[in-house]
Amino acid sequence: MNSFANRFSTTDHLRELKRAQANIEDDEFSDAAWGSEAGFGSLAKGVPTFSVPAVPDPSAFLRLHTDDHADPKCRIKIQHGTTTLAFRYKGGVIVAVDSRATAGSYVASGTVKKVIEINPYLLGTMAGGAADCQYWETYLGIHCRLHELRNRERISVSAASKYLSNLVYSYKGMGLSMGTMICGWDKTGPAIFYVDSDGTRLKGDLFSVGSGSTFAYGVLDQGYRWDLPDEEAQELGRRSIYAAGHRDAFSGNTCNLYHVKEDGWHFIGNYDISKLHYDGPDNVDGAGYGYDVRVGTRS
Amino acid sequence: MATASVYSSPGFDFSNQIRNNFLAEKGLPLPKATSTGTTIVGCLFEGGIILGADTRATEGPIVADKNCEKIHYITESIRCCGAGTAADTEFVTNLISSNMEMHALTHGRKPRVVTAMTMLKQYLFRYQGHVGAALVLGGVDSTGPNLFTIHPHGSTDKLPYVTMGSGSLAAMAVFESGWKTKMSREDALQLVKDAIAAGIFNDLGSGSNIDACIITPNHTEMLRNVEMPNERETKEKSYKFRRGTTEWKSESIRKLIVSEEITPIGGDAMDTS
Amino acid sequence: MPDMVSIGQPQQRQFNPYSENGGTILAIAGANFSVIAGDTRQSEGYNIQTRYAPKVFRLTDKAVLAVNGFAADGSMFVKKVKQRLEWYRHAHAKDMPLRAIARLIQTMLYSRRFFPYYVYNILGGIEEDGSGAVYSFDPVGSYERESCRAAGAAQSLVQPFLDNQIYFKNQRPPPGTSNPTHLPLHEVLSLVIDSFTSATERHIEVGDGLEIFVVLAKGSTTQGLENFANVQEMTQTREGERMFNIRRNLKRD
Repeated sequence: MNSFANRFSTTDHLRELKRAQANIEDDEFSDAAWGSEAGFGSLAKGVPTFSVPAVPDPSAFLRLHTDDHADPKCRIKIQHGTTTLAFRYKGGVIVAVDSRATAGSYVASGTVKKVIEINPYLLGTMAGGAADCQYWETYLGIHCRLHELRNRERISVSAASKYLSNLVYSYKGMGLSMGTMICGWDKTGPAIFYVDSDGTRLKGDLFSVGSGSTFAYGVLDQGYRWDLPDEEAQELGRRSIYAAGHRDAFSGNTCNLYHVKEDGWHFIGNYDISKLHYDGPDNVDGAGYGYDVRVGTRS
Repeated sequence: MATASVYSSPGFDFSNQIRNNFLAEKGLPLPKATSTGTTIVGCLFEGGIILGADTRATEGPIVADKNCEKIHYITESIRCCGAGTAADTEFVTNLISSNMEMHALTHGRKPRVVTAMTMLKQYLFRYQGHVGAALVLGGVDSTGPNLFTIHPHGSTDKLPYVTMGSGSLAAMAVFESGWKTKMSREDALQLVKDAIAAGIFNDLGSGSNIDACIITPNHTEMLRNVEMPNERETKEKSYKFRRGTTEWKSESIRKLIVSEEITPIGGDAMDTS
Repeated sequence: MPDMVSIGQPQQRQFNPYSENGGTILAIAGANFSVIAGDTRQSEGYNIQTRYAPKVFRLTDKAVLAVNGFAADGSMFVKKVKQRLEWYRHAHAKDMPLRAIARLIQTMLYSRRFFPYYVYNILGGIEEDGSGAVYSFDPVGSYERESCRAAGAAQSLVQPFLDNQIYFKNQRPPPGTSNPTHLPLHEVLSLVIDSFTSATERHIEVGDGLEIFVVLAKGSTTQGLENFANVQEMTQTREGERMFNIRRNLKRD
């Protein structure tokens, strides 16, 4: 706990990271040498530690080598480009995402899992840096479990999202990049919180994040009602991701759909976006969202 | 031929320079010209000149052409190897080739290698290195065998053995250790082949096959692909696709053969015999 | 050729510890086996630094790691992973399972989030349930289990080929049938070899040698492996997972 207090005793992340680096160097043969540490090598002391380059401005160093927006020739490509959405309605929360990862104009992967299953009651979505989202949301999962063990009750979505928000805020300016929605069902019912690496944390009914979010919002806003039946709510999520996948070059491939109910989240399905275009979710020839409505009557 | 009514100054148009630099700053780099990472060499021997080149053309790290020709024709007894921007070497040698032909017709005799060299260097100097051609020029004329290198900015060298391109160091190492004065044709050809092979195997920008050109006072022999040390082995698998592999949405079949039935009207058909 | 505008202007110099050493790696998972391969050329710019620098490493009897990108970071990273796996062996008297190695690699990569290892990792091997698995990583640790993945210089040449031949993308199955979910070992090895010979043809940084690791699940047959040339068994016991190594020459130009 001392390290925890120490960890948050200053907001000067530069000095702090230098200290963390010193910690690593001191403890090269510490806990890790004793075995697995539950897989979390850098978390042995309860707080992760990071090594930083020995330069006057580490975040400028990182930006130089990883920011492909400013310099397309930069060496380390961090994957970007996404459409994710989540909305709250009377039947719970619908979470839908695409599965494309791009590095510049190259489709690095078409099978990314952008919904992170934090625990059976909490989902997080992935937009921005894939590693940032995966790592910190897994880390959040550990702390949600610790909360359960300490308090004998599940963590609220609000508390979980605030934990993540505070955490990423402490790294502000260091180059973390995430835009995530923490979705779940707690004592208060279904809940969604938007958290990003700038430190923003918003409670809301309906969010979409990523380069294709504008396309998703278009469909979402048009079809959203609080008292949507489950079937229609799932269809709305799927249809919105399809719209983004169709119009945004950096989103696409497949759509992953989740439904959070009182008993936790349920995986509804994985849908090929080009199949949705031609044949629709039920795979009926000609029943697609896009193709036959446009050219079916002609030719 | 119709000409535009606005005045345009001769030479390159630099009016987009500022715009292009602005775009490059915004992260939109110019499209890259095909540059031939290359090994080209030339070498003097008893009685003539041998030029040599590899046959790989690259676009960045990608091989654009596995068997291109880098020994260009200038006149029957003058040839030129090109390295650098592929389009520039191609056009500059073509242009000088035309001018050399005109020169020959005007003066009624064979032009000399120095003439081609002077034309090339003056042309390249005029464009201050923006025409990215690095050349090895060789040939035999009334003065005997001549061998030059010409750099993109217009400087030239006259040496008994020369190399250029990204593989020039590898090739020059071979020349430095193996070249002698008054070599025989066979020895010189072997040396040129070894120099190009050194470039092919040790320089990533060079590869595939060896081209050579032997120029003697009364004969020029172009040895296209004298050595092919990098032929592809057979693939493990055949990649033929079944007919109907590609999906389609609609199908319409048109009959292209039209049959006509001719009914002769009015008695017998015309006698065509 | 220097840029006309930059001449005569102040230039900033900065700390640049990274380089790019070319090469390509590739891994494909089968139903009960995993194939991990990489070429052996290491280059910088237009120079070949060495024609034999392994990029594929045996971690345990059932896990193989392929590393591509900056060679110095890569060899350091493999060294540290091997060290952590040895500590695990001492503490638990068994090898770390594949999915745990994958998570370990994530945390090790992420601990350098602000000073990344410039390496693209592909982990291949046999999962605890006996299935073949491939995990691919980005330089800062995001990872995913897949059934095939290419990385490195010729990634954009090889991956589309794999998408077509392994995932059967843009290939409609013959009427009344469906495309297979897993290919047999000899077919996978043929695809790997053809991937590398083709990448060698069209990418200047790929060539010299090809090193293929094959991991077979416990109790499975050699599945036609013996028909390939230069196969070497790396495991002593025949009880557990078996590992083989295949070496081939690639073009050197």
